[in-house]
Amino acid sequence: MKTTFKEENTKYVMYFEGRLDTAAAPQTERDVQPLNDCMGHDIILDCTKLEYISSSGLRIFLAILKNAKPKGSKVYIRGLNEDLRQVFAMTGFTSLFEFV
Amino acid sequence: MHKCGIFCIFAANFEEFSKVAVLDSLYLGLSGYAWITIVTIMGIFVVMARSRIPAEVAFLGALTVLMITGVVTEEEGMAGFGSEPVVVHAAFFVIIAGLLQSGVLYWLTKNVLGDPSNYHNAVLRLMVPTSLLSAFLNSINVVALFIDAVKIWARKLNISPSKLLLPLSYAASLGGMCTLLGNSSNLVIAGLYLNKTGESMNVFTPFLPGIILTAVGVMLVVALQRFIPSRESAEMSFETTSDYTVELLVPTDNPAVGMSVEEAGLYRVKGGSLFEIVRFDKEIIMPVSKDEWVIGGDRLIYAGQINELLELKRTHGLAAADHHVWSIKDIDNKRKMRTAYVCFGSELIGTSMANSDFEQKNNVALVAVARQGRRVKGQPREIRLQAGDTLLLECPSKGESKLEQDNRHALTFFDSHFVPQLGSKTITSALILVLMFVISSFHMLPLMATTMLAAGAMMLLGCCRIQGVTNYIDWELLLILGATIVFSVAITKTGIADAVALSLLNFCGDNPYMVMVVMCLLASITSEVVSDVGAAGIFFPIVFQQANILGCNPMPFVMSLMLSVTISFASPIGSSTHMLIYGPGAFKFTDFARLGLVMHVVLLAVLLVVVNALYPLY
Repeated sequence: MKTTFKEENTKYVMYFEGRLDTAAAPQTERDVQPLNDCMGHDIILDCTKLEYISSSGLRIFLAILKNAKPKGSKVYIRGLNEDLRQVFAMTGFTSLFEFV
Repeated sequence: MHKCGIFCIFAANFEEFSKVAVLDSLYLGLSGYAWITIVTIMGIFVVMARSRIPAEVAFLGALTVLMITGVVTEEEGMAGFGSEPVVVHAAFFVIIAGLLQSGVLYWLTKNVLGDPSNYHNAVLRLMVPTSLLSAFLNSINVVALFIDAVKIWARKLNISPSKLLLPLSYAASLGGMCTLLGNSSNLVIAGLYLNKTGESMNVFTPFLPGIILTAVGVMLVVALQRFIPSRESAEMSFETTSDYTVELLVPTDNPAVGMSVEEAGLYRVKGGSLFEIVRFDKEIIMPVSKDEWVIGGDRLIYAGQINELLELKRTHGLAAADHHVWSIKDIDNKRKMRTAYVCFGSELIGTSMANSDFEQKNNVALVAVARQGRRVKGQPREIRLQAGDTLLLECPSKGESKLEQDNRHALTFFDSHFVPQLGSKTITSALILVLMFVISSFHMLPLMATTMLAAGAMMLLGCCRIQGVTNYIDWELLLILGATIVFSVAITKTGIADAVALSLLNFCGDNPYMVMVVMCLLASITSEVVSDVGAAGIFFPIVFQQANILGCNPMPFVMSLMLSVTISFASPIGSSTHMLIYGPGAFKFTDFARLGLVMHVVLLAVLLVVVNALYPLY
């Protein structure tokens, strides 16, 4: 599992690559720490190269959202494949996030 | 045939011999038959106080003695079992089955009786509404109605049912004093008064003295509640409310998704605790912190009181299902909760629901599991089942008998007091109950016909399952009631009642107060050993005659008799309501005497003062 953080046009973008499963979750949680520093910056979680997400991965996404909302930041999800889209739909996450 | 013939000849000869030689002679003013009756009835008390012989065996034994000695004929001996009180009680049991299975009892416990926090509070919360209801309905109806509801309370408060059942019965008897409809004996006396005077009593004639006695009685029970015995009921060890492990699913569109369990109100819940979350990908979160997020498809595993936890389905939109649920609207809300035990030799033993096709095959979903004596850890659907485990299953609304029949070797279904079954049948059975009260209160049909009609309606309209309905009937109680009625016949027939009453007039002289005190004392003692109705029937003609001889207004005599036959609190056979609670409370025969004797003496004194203050003698 690999993550890359970039700041693009005042937006914070986090790129996810590989399988975000239970084993990879603790390291990924540390890797997304820069997103916690957002001060009104919108956040994009780029999942174009994300192959799998477990419930632990969804918890990380939710934690990012919960941290960003009070600061006035919006969280967008980009590039979900069909399998991941189904996971998001089944868990009710489709209504929590905005998708680009 | 040969043996029977010999027995008949022997019995006939014995009867003939005894009549001629011994029993018709008088001893101390009473015939041999009367003495046999006295000794036999006293014998019941001795046997029940000194041995572990079941009450119904003692009563039937006494009845046998009265029959073989010729005190009562075979017809008289058997007539008790077909009498109105016995049939009415049997019908009540069926009605109660309907009220239990359709959720009326659950609703009553939750909404009418309330949710007391401790025993002291519970006694008061129980006695006030019970006595008020008993004033307007028949006290037997009220006690029969609340017995199961009170048992649920006892389990919630973790006390023996006996601690609440005794106040229940006392409150019903007390409240029953307030109107003519309250106690059966009131109606008997009012009917006899009408026959003698041609004057009809108002329904509220006994209200004023009755309400004063009720208030005093309730205060006495509250003040002396430490004298109420604590008895371990057999049912208590059968199923407990706090041992269930419950699994509830969060549907996709649940508003709690994205919140923490604490924010969603799913962490600290009434009657239980959240100890595990199983995510959609089988990841297990345990222990669960209050900040844990709720995700659609989560299975929340709670431990605690089943009735409170099942409320989460309604209040928080959770589901009981073996598959994923997108929306709570997709769930058939007519499905029923059923409880069942895993039988010995069941094919389910050693397997878990997740690893068998039991749920799919029967269209049921396992919601909770309880294992006697200890809490089961883990997700209910993953638990390897053992014989005796209690399962809570969500079942289709129809085809209950087929489900039971198909799985009779695997599961034994039963009705639990803890599982809410609210629905259209709740309203139907409540309506049947209200109609029964209206019809019997206005005497549109005799009480026996009304209760039988209500019992039939409960079955025909699907409020209770016809199969197994006889399991709800307390046959032991019916046997005791039938025998008690025969004792009443024997006491009247053998002249015991007449002899005692006449000798009392000689003893008391012409002081009306003295006569009233002695008659009330005797009537109340008689009602303790016979029944309130029996004592009313025996003493009314004597009391009325005494008032006439003394030139007094008969009303204070009649009223004091009406009230004194219902203050029988010291023995279980004193009132039909006491008999109803005797079995469910696992009481001993002498248990009623501890508080009952004090109640009897104090209320007798109060009633004599109140009646004489309200009704002038001349």
